[in-house]
Amino acid sequence: MEFKINNLDNILSGSISESSVDGKIIATINGKEHSIRIIGLKNSILEFILDNSYRTAKIIEFGSSYIKMIMNGEQIVLKKHSKLTEILEKSLAIGGSSSGEIKLYSQIPGRVVSIMLKSGDQLKKGDPVIVLESMKMQVAVKAHKDGCIRDIKVKVGDTVSRNDVVALIE
Amino acid sequence: MGKLISSILIANRGEIALRIIRACKELKIKSIALYSDEDLRSKHVKSADEAYYLGPPAPAKSYLNIDKIIEIAEISGAEAIHPGYGFLSENETFAGKCEEKGIIFIGPTSAAMALTGDKMKCKEIMTKTGVPTIPGSDDILEDVDKAVEVAEEAGYPVLLKSAFGGGGRGIRLADNEKNLREEFEMASAESRAAFGKSGLYVEKFLQGIRHIEFQLARDSSGNGRHIFERECSIQRRHQKLIEFSPSSVVDKKTRSKIGEMAVRAAESVDYLNAGTAEFLRDEKGNFYFIEINSRLQVEHPVTELVTGIDLVKLQIRIACGEDIPFQQSDLNLNGSAIECRINAEDPFHDFVPSVGLIPDCNLPYGPGVRVDTYLYPGCNVSGYYDSLVAKLITWGQDFNEARVRMSNALDEFIIEGVNTTIPLYRTIMNEKNFINGNISTDYLEKYEILKLMQTQIKESSLKTSDSSIAAALLYSEFLKGQNAVYNSSKELSLSDWVRAGNIKNGI
Repeated sequence: MEFKINNLDNILSGSISESSVDGKIIATINGKEHSIRIIGLKNSILEFILDNSYRTAKIIEFGSSYIKMIMNGEQIVLKKHSKLTEILEKSLAIGGSSSGEIKLYSQIPGRVVSIMLKSGDQLKKGDPVIVLESMKMQVAVKAHKDGCIRDIKVKVGDTVSRNDVVALIE
Repeated sequence: MGKLISSILIANRGEIALRIIRACKELKIKSIALYSDEDLRSKHVKSADEAYYLGPPAPAKSYLNIDKIIEIAEISGAEAIHPGYGFLSENETFAGKCEEKGIIFIGPTSAAMALTGDKMKCKEIMTKTGVPTIPGSDDILEDVDKAVEVAEEAGYPVLLKSAFGGGGRGIRLADNEKNLREEFEMASAESRAAFGKSGLYVEKFLQGIRHIEFQLARDSSGNGRHIFERECSIQRRHQKLIEFSPSSVVDKKTRSKIGEMAVRAAESVDYLNAGTAEFLRDEKGNFYFIEINSRLQVEHPVTELVTGIDLVKLQIRIACGEDIPFQQSDLNLNGSAIECRINAEDPFHDFVPSVGLIPDCNLPYGPGVRVDTYLYPGCNVSGYYDSLVAKLITWGQDFNEARVRMSNALDEFIIEGVNTTIPLYRTIMNEKNFINGNISTDYLEKYEILKLMQTQIKESSLKTSDSSIAAALLYSEFLKGQNAVYNSSKELSLSDWVRAGNIKNGI
């Protein structure tokens, strides 16, 4: 299987090549053979010995195309990589996201303390549209693209969650 | 020693409430905690002897609600109130109300607080006392036009500061007029949210400076002591991130000279209890007084570790009318201590606040390691309050030992569920300029520390990729084994391996 990890450009690979009843496994990872011994799997926490060193991973999500886990406190996303997904992602990027997306999402949960622009206002990418307050900090939600405000979806005093739509920009 | 009080109400939350509760327990004083709806399950509520309900989560309706807090103090029969830091700790109205009601306020008198809280007036007093201050504006700016006028006179860049602020809140940097006008609105809103009032002033921004502060204590008999310095130059947007003591640029002679100056500053405002005199030090070694923080500082553990003095217990004793039990010459600086403020902010995405449930966490232990935190597995990090979730403090015989211990403790420190500033501190602890003491308040920008952190996180993902891929392979196999209907396949699924392993291990 081929993988991509977090934002790394490298394409990595791994497969299980041998396993025996007594719990010993041989895996080939990035072209090298490693011996693995499983300690246990409980509540999505996987513990194992990799080449004589203890390792543990907490599996957070297991999707058909990715695995999200926590190792040493860091979140690691492994994408199962294939030529097909690469092509799909590229075509999606061109067709869908950045330029065409009209929804502006809040990047944090917080309370709306001010609204800088109104419907019909012209704006440039990076302009603050609304200001949220969280943890005593004022954080601006900035425009993700140039355009014109079609609608502001919140009002001062509203509480928004992360990834709520706060405005529409055309 | 005289008789101490029998109960203290703690008008705060989070790690500092826990710190004060611990001091109360040591002194056999009843601790009374407060909680908002958001803090029902917080650790300080569990640890205190008693806990009283304050109100809705918003600070204005809970931890800043003076009338409600005084009411609870009277109902509960609290003899004293400890305000912690932030919230009402530097609110002279609150201190005054306590005085009126005959409740001991563990901190300075409202009169002294009124002086230290008014930065303009304080500056004026210091100039008279012969304590050097930074050149800048000397008026609260009521509107943005006045700010622009003053800024033009002082020359850009300028700092926009809240006259009532503290802890770096409400401080903004402006490079030009357009910038200043934008920031003025944001800063006054932030100041209002944090302190309940606006009121801004402008000061010339000095570059390449260090922020060094002196811990102070003064009792009601007028004995003043300085308890050495803390180096607080590692900051981001005027928020301290890392503090340590001693500073590499403060020798014995400078320490007593500036320390004595700090004590003089405290005398000039008839200061009472623990406080901090903050200074800026320029590249030539000149010290400029900036302000007195009239409260217990977030970074007080650094001083505790290098002196062995429990500052919270000292505060309580002073508030009960006792004299400071040591002379200036009794104090010894022992070893070196570093503190990292672990904030629930994402250092990879412009430090946006990160809130929510903490499913699990692992706190570091070991020689010279201290953790002040409210975290426990299953707790909640609220968006209503400060982002500080833990303070990690390490001690060593010298700076290097404390630094290496910090680096290792950061590796052990795991907080699931929210993003924290831990990766940033891991980078800093092993960065050569920090190691060599080449620091200033613009350290993060000057040495492009955030970029370095990004590179290092990639390197570490690559380094641990063997392990993460192994985990992914094992888990995929396990699921395959679970989903497969028991069929003719002769291969043993991973679930069988796990089971075999478990049986062998007696699980």
